[in-house]
Amino acid sequence: MIREWTSFFVAVFSLIYIYELSLFASGAKADALNLLRNPGVIAFNVLALLFTSYHALTWFYLIGKIQPIKLGKTTSKPWQALLVNIVLLLIISYAVIEILVLR
Amino acid sequence: MPQIARLHAILWGVFSMGGFIAAFLLPVLIYLVGIAYPLGLWPAANQDPTTSILDHRHLGTLLLFVTVAGSLYHGIFRFQSTLTEIGLARAKRALEAIGYLIIIIGILATAIYLLQYNPGFFSLP
Repeated sequence: MIREWTSFFVAVFSLIYIYELSLFASGAKADALNLLRNPGVIAFNVLALLFTSYHALTWFYLIGKIQPIKLGKTTSKPWQALLVNIVLLLIISYAVIEILVLR
Repeated sequence: MPQIARLHAILWGVFSMGGFIAAFLLPVLIYLVGIAYPLGLWPAANQDPTTSILDHRHLGTLLLFVTVAGSLYHGIFRFQSTLTEIGLARAKRALEAIGYLIIIIGILATAIYLLQYNPGFFSLP
């Protein structure tokens, strides 16, 4: 049940970020950035990151459980899917940072 | 396959795709925008990450749209069905209506705001 409740943070962060984008689009960038510096918003974002990561990791495990891959006589285990997807998550996250933020 | 069953399968399919998007792209966006920038951590210590991402007009706009729209759909869809599972089954129709309304308005608003910020999105690079 914890996994289901983590979707609340996924939804609320998305809604807050849409509001941020509305401020960016209307030219009120300073207001958008001030909102991000609000301690309450930072605390929410820390919780959102923790719960979203939990949501992601349990999702990776579930993929391995629901759709195991057969390789010859062996079948993949859920923890193997979890591991492969964690590596993918790290590669994708680094690619986003490298290509879209650092360049 | 009956039409309602087909629609149901499509909605769960989109939910599943949103799950992949939320799992792979949302954590890094939350970290960059909500934690690294306000706390002055790497890699957003000196610059606002949303502006940096949107400066890459096509790729950045597309990434933000896919991440926000996919995560919003996944989060609201799952949360709304969780509420029906914990005793609000009688309000299922109303919850679904509110949930889909938020999803539709949210996705349209995301597209409009991103296009307002980057009006040249559809022009060739």
